[in-house]
Amino acid sequence: MDLAIETMGLSKSYGPVHAVENVNLRVRRGEIYGFLGLNGAGKTTTIRALLGMIRPTAGSVRVLGQPVGPHGRGPWRDVGHLVESPTAYPELTVRENLEIARRLYGIADRKATTQVVERLGIAPYVDRKAGTLSTGNFQRLGLARALLHEPELLILDEPANGLDPAGVVEIRELLENLAREKGVTVFMSSHILTEVNRLATRIGIIHKGRLIEELDAEKLDELRSQRLEIKVHDQAAAQAALGQAGYDVKASNGSLFLSGDRAISAPDEMATLLVHAGAPPIRLVVVQEELEAHFLRLTGENE
Amino acid sequence: MNIFLSALWAETLKARRSKVLWLTIGASLILPLIGGLFMIILKNPEQARNMGLISVKSQLVGGTADWPNYFDMLLQSIAMAGSILFAFIMAWVFGREFSDHTAKELLALPTPRVAIISAKFVLTAVWMSGLALMIFVIGLGVGAAVDIPGWSLELAWSSFGALMSVALLIFMLMPFVALFASAGRGYLPALGWALFSFVIAQILSLLGWGDWIPWSVPVMRSGMFGPSSIEQLGMHSYILTLVAFTLGVIATLSWWRSADQAK
Repeated sequence: MDLAIETMGLSKSYGPVHAVENVNLRVRRGEIYGFLGLNGAGKTTTIRALLGMIRPTAGSVRVLGQPVGPHGRGPWRDVGHLVESPTAYPELTVRENLEIARRLYGIADRKATTQVVERLGIAPYVDRKAGTLSTGNFQRLGLARALLHEPELLILDEPANGLDPAGVVEIRELLENLAREKGVTVFMSSHILTEVNRLATRIGIIHKGRLIEELDAEKLDELRSQRLEIKVHDQAAAQAALGQAGYDVKASNGSLFLSGDRAISAPDEMATLLVHAGAPPIRLVVVQEELEAHFLRLTGENE
Repeated sequence: MNIFLSALWAETLKARRSKVLWLTIGASLILPLIGGLFMIILKNPEQARNMGLISVKSQLVGGTADWPNYFDMLLQSIAMAGSILFAFIMAWVFGREFSDHTAKELLALPTPRVAIISAKFVLTAVWMSGLALMIFVIGLGVGAAVDIPGWSLELAWSSFGALMSVALLIFMLMPFVALFASAGRGYLPALGWALFSFVIAQILSLLGWGDWIPWSVPVMRSGMFGPSSIEQLGMHSYILTLVAFTLGVIATLSWWRSADQAK
């Protein structure tokens, strides 16, 4: 399998604290990999290890087929990154900051800077000092730096941070296009689950330093549990009738929830049963768990 | 070479756009101007008293108003104030990457870290030589304007050589400031080290051990502790300074080669 990122038993400890423990990541080329986790779950530590910015306590990292570190060794010409919050030299303009990056990435084409500022929508601010940019535009500058050298792999830590809703959509479309049209692999950490849900083709969930689940986005749809939600005026009568018929019923927030294939596949039978019991339904709908609920359930189970 | 030149271009741009460059130029200008003021006072102490430049009660010591004395004054002031100024430049060039949180951007690049750090050393060498040269040239202008006696081209050349050698000796002690700025992740540890080494070196010089301490060598070479201190310096003093320089450079490069963003 052609992997863009591969970690084997990756662990990093800071004294007695195990920030990351035995993480085995496998990111295929061309994937958009959403890396989910709560604050302090180990997302940024993992990203730093992928970029050779920290020495793992144990395990190894391969990026684009090359081993990473020590001494800054890695395929960095083909990797764009944004780790934690973006940074820039505040007294230098947007253009000057990107020119420094262009030269340090060894890009001969002088137009690269102009092209990337246009792509990221910061052309109007190109001669403005980085220190005077708004949070959103500073984030765009960080993303521009990551995209400047047209990398094969993008490693982005919370790319939507600080962006307004329009900016979030714009960056999502940009990343989607890069993956679709240019085959760029995107590895992005996020705590904005809806963003990951919309964008990622594969999802990894890290919790307390351990990778607790790794799955394709399509598989997630299957895994997310489905329930039948019923609202009635006479909840007690409905609950009794459904119980007698052998259904597993749970009441929550004024609704009744039924799980299991039998209930989900035949809501019409359910309606008939409730009408006969004198508690006709006023709402009857199959609800699917959101990624957020799946994530919270999973991290809750691993407490 | 292209990689190194790119790194040097980047470092030069950062320096050119910073206020620190202009601050250090301004601070350097003060040295010959103060020297010139002393010459005016020494030349006409009564007139200086009448103008209020010095207190009526003050007893001026420090010799006569002439070019040899003026050059000595410049040399000693660069040995003292220059040490602090150069340390400030070094602490800024290396420490700013941590205060601006840009150090992490230097770690995962196709340009090797060693090239970037070497570029920083070359930039500081050029910066410090430029300041030393500027102090001398402005000093010549100030001296000429004050119109002091005792000028000779020979004296000017030898003074220029002495000033540039003191500047070089100070620069050779600076890699340790870079190391403290890097390993200490900011300006403060670097400036703390600069101050500590400066004070300890002066004490050891006064105790007569200065020729064995690289951090004492520039001040002794400037003649601040009298002509005997220059004679006290031997080949061992310069070799030890070279060793301190080499160790400082190697230690700084090694630190950056294995730099970690763990903290």
